[in-house]
Amino acid sequence: MEPSTQTPRYAQMFVEGLKEANVTVVAALPESLLAGVYRLCAKDNALRYIPVTNEAELPGICAGAYLAGKKGIMVMENSGLRQACEPIARFAYCHAMPLVMAMSFRGEWGERNWWGHNHAQTMEPILNALRIPFRFIARLEDIKPAIRKAYYHADSSSWPVAMVFTGECVEVPAYAKD
Amino acid sequence: MQRIEAIRHMAQVVTQDDLLTTSIGQTWDDWWNYKPADNTFFTGILGSVTTTALGLAVSLPHRRIIAIESDGSVLLNTGVMCTLGKERPPNLTVVVMDNGIYENIGGPPTHTSANTDLAKMAEGAGCLNCATAREADEFDRQFRRMLDDGQMGYLVAKIEPWAKHKWEWKDRKATDGVEDKYRFLRYVEKLEGVVIHPGAVQN
Repeated sequence: MEPSTQTPRYAQMFVEGLKEANVTVVAALPESLLAGVYRLCAKDNALRYIPVTNEAELPGICAGAYLAGKKGIMVMENSGLRQACEPIARFAYCHAMPLVMAMSFRGEWGERNWWGHNHAQTMEPILNALRIPFRFIARLEDIKPAIRKAYYHADSSSWPVAMVFTGECVEVPAYAKD
Repeated sequence: MQRIEAIRHMAQVVTQDDLLTTSIGQTWDDWWNYKPADNTFFTGILGSVTTTALGLAVSLPHRRIIAIESDGSVLLNTGVMCTLGKERPPNLTVVVMDNGIYENIGGPPTHTSANTDLAKMAEGAGCLNCATAREADEFDRQFRRMLDDGQMGYLVAKIEPWAKHKWEWKDRKATDGVEDKYRFLRYVEKLEGVVIHPGAVQN
């Protein structure tokens, strides 16, 4: 099936939120739940959108942007947290590096894919083990404040933070449209 | 070619206006003694040396960015080559110090001592100006060309295993990763005239 080309409201607000927070580098491993975000970022000339092959590439790209005086964001599915765990941990514990990550919450209540539940089951324990502060973002009106505050929090604490997008703030899977 | 020879050649060309990242290991001590300023982020993360340089390169397109990699670090995160091959940042040069062994931990071989060719991998991934240098003068020529040709470069330096040059303790890199970050960050603030990490907001 061809992917939708319509811009969902959550994606529009996400990208507007990035711009209002002066984000210029978006490094991402595209997935389905934030599909609209990747589409918008890829065609926006004000953003340097860097799709990667593996989430473990994301922390370095965003750390490089930070060290250059720019703002970067890692965007991925929550399963990517496991792939990126080692460089996230190293940047945090070895370098006190602020990193802002946005991830979709695969495995939300009502998940109908058997392979999606482990993403949710392991996400919070990993974030807690890494001592990374995180917030669930489920309502459209919370997207922009969450992004703005994520940079305040990461920069002032010199530590990674995570936003977990769900509810109104992700694509609605076809099976959930009831 | 010994690694220290390649480092000495690099030090003749790299300026205080360039920004670098380096791989963990003995390269740290070599470059620590030759770096022209605090313009190097000593990256304490194998597999993230080139990605950090990529983030610098896309954020500061007017500045030359150099990643000093190792074969072990590159092999840990080979997908980065494909990302580089897609992005092709013209201001980025990657130099891989490839000795074919994990020297710091006693010398078990890396796959480059068997059948893996990093320059061919980078070329196949879409990177530009991929080359392998086995002798010091060839390394010097290729490095100078890649720095100034306005295109990305990927230079694999085949260096001899087991460095002959040993640094005394007093000359070894003395900083930890947090100090490294702040030294580099404050250097970039002055270089670019920006504020990256301000003090606390008063209330």
